[in-house]
Amino acid sequence: MKGQAFKRLTNCAGRRQSPSQGGARTYGRGFSGVTQMAKNIGHHAKPAGSRTPIPRRFLLRAGAGTLLAAPAIIGHSASAEENAVYVNTWGGSWTAAEDVAFYKPFTAKTGIAVKTVAPMSYAKIKAIVQSGNYEWDVSGGTNVESKEAQRLGLLEPIDYSVLHRENIPEGNIVGDQIAGVALSTCLVYRKDKFPNGGPQSWADFWDVKRFPGARCLYNRPYTVLTYALLADGVPPDKIYPMDLDRGFRKLDQIKPHIKVWWEQATQSQQLIEDGEVDMIGMWNARAQELINRGVPLEIVWNGNENSMAYKFVLKGTPRAKQAWQFMEFIAQPEPQAKFCTLMSYGPSNPKAFDMISPEAAKRMPTNPEYQKLGVSPNGDWLAPRMAELRERFAQWLES
Amino acid sequence: MAGVVAAAQPAASWQAPAIAVPQAKIPWLLLVPACALLILLFVLPIGYTLLLSVTEPYLSLAHFQRIFTVPLYRRVMVNTFVTSLLVTVCCLLIAYPIAYVIARRDDWLSRILLVAVMLCFWTGFVVRTYAWMIILGNKGPVASMFTLLGLGPPPRLLFTSFASALGMVHILLPFMVLTLYGVMQRIDPHFSRAAASLGARPTTAFLHVYLPLSLPGVINGGILVFTICLGFFITPALLGSPRDMMISQLINQQIQEMLAWGFASALAVVLITATGIVLAIYNSLAGLDRLWG
Repeated sequence: MKGQAFKRLTNCAGRRQSPSQGGARTYGRGFSGVTQMAKNIGHHAKPAGSRTPIPRRFLLRAGAGTLLAAPAIIGHSASAEENAVYVNTWGGSWTAAEDVAFYKPFTAKTGIAVKTVAPMSYAKIKAIVQSGNYEWDVSGGTNVESKEAQRLGLLEPIDYSVLHRENIPEGNIVGDQIAGVALSTCLVYRKDKFPNGGPQSWADFWDVKRFPGARCLYNRPYTVLTYALLADGVPPDKIYPMDLDRGFRKLDQIKPHIKVWWEQATQSQQLIEDGEVDMIGMWNARAQELINRGVPLEIVWNGNENSMAYKFVLKGTPRAKQAWQFMEFIAQPEPQAKFCTLMSYGPSNPKAFDMISPEAAKRMPTNPEYQKLGVSPNGDWLAPRMAELRERFAQWLES
Repeated sequence: MAGVVAAAQPAASWQAPAIAVPQAKIPWLLLVPACALLILLFVLPIGYTLLLSVTEPYLSLAHFQRIFTVPLYRRVMVNTFVTSLLVTVCCLLIAYPIAYVIARRDDWLSRILLVAVMLCFWTGFVVRTYAWMIILGNKGPVASMFTLLGLGPPPRLLFTSFASALGMVHILLPFMVLTLYGVMQRIDPHFSRAAASLGARPTTAFLHVYLPLSLPGVINGGILVFTICLGFFITPALLGSPRDMMISQLINQQIQEMLAWGFASALAVVLITATGIVLAIYNSLAGLDRLWG
């Protein structure tokens, strides 16, 4: 079994390498590499972190002083003249799908190279805009994180001399953000652990007597608070405005049973695939990918958290022109259909469904049946409260 | 005391020979690159951290007040020190017999042990941490053993403080063994034999002769392991749970998730100060120049 694990480790290393042959690619650097090492449990560590572990440790040992200076010393800032766009992305299968659906066709069409930095870091956006040291130009997030970034003034206003408004479907432009794909964070359980049917709702997830087993949740405050309130009997349409105290009280009950709080999607996949946990709240397409690979999982759509992922350009980037060309390209039906066929998320461009088979469309979060069962995070309510909520959640987690 | 010593020595019995020392300025210039590097890589960043800790977002000592008054942060501090101490003691207890055997014997056993320790030392600690994740994981050998022996499902091992302490002990053990070995190697074996010839039993000879002579190694190794442990990050982050967070994890979280650079800097200042105090105590007891044996 140990050997198997090691084999998978090497397999993954190989998988990670392969996209780099397709196009120029950069990975997380500076201190983010170290953190992500820590966050990517298992074999999905960033190569940047594993390549030079020892100097990194000395960096850390020398104290945050070196840490703070690290971006200035080793951070890269590609020049404005460079005909490229730098994209912050989730890594793993998400980035692989983007490579096929977005990056390669875009480069083929425009000659602009796409370089990726993984995994995602929302916190770093602020540091990048403030320091003017553009490690990436395009980022994204759910309607909550995007709205928060917009509120904080971190988004570049849309350049309509490059991006043609008529090419973007009505309603897909929100402020300076452009809708990408719809995604759901669902309850997923191992069928081999619960052969007679597993948990069918968040109330079941909270029921540790009827459904014993190791549990795992996403380390994202509003998502798990939504689950807690649903488990506590709050109707889906009454989740927002959120009763935070009630949510945290309900979370207190499940906390001892949560084996680990995942932070990177690849980590969530590894935990459920290896049977390290028996039930988990994770992204639907990441679970679907495992099911396609033969892992015995069941996706429970009841109580899914259904959100729209937006993309945006970082304020002040010297490569804004290239970035807006990229933004327009990925909003088109064909790239979106291609991406959503590879990762079963839902396209925001309705025309994309013309190129998607009805069976595939059924598995997407855009399926009206699933939408009925889900809750969408309320960006207007959450965005101004995110900083406070994140802090409170972190303190709760560590206490 | 010093006066007595001075008075006992014949005053001015020795004078510097009158050799003209050349006005050597060039050798000092050779130090410039090294000094510049130290200033650039250590003095400036640490100074900047210190500055940030009291100026970000505005001039105040509020961050430090928060560290020492919010129970959660106090607990992280205490946890960091207690864990470091525990890891140091465990390392010492395991490393001492290993180093003793390596230093005292010159046969296949000592060579195998030395090679094992060196292999451990030169294997990246990240790799070793991941190895522990596999060993302690649900499909790892420990879990298989439980199933094989019919003991039912194994207890939760991964993502606990036990796993995190185990990983740190394993990773820091070579430091302790090598430091102890360095000191023990230089202890003259004749001393123990002399004690025995004077009628001391092996235990007495060890306790009264060998142990005191190896004490510098114990202190050096302890200081080394303890200070490394204070700033340890990856292993507790990967193997532990959020509940037994160490200070470096808190610093990382504040920077990466909260973007609270000021607070993170204040935490870093506390960590640097704590490490400095430990080293200062050591310096006054033994002298920092002896840290590596």
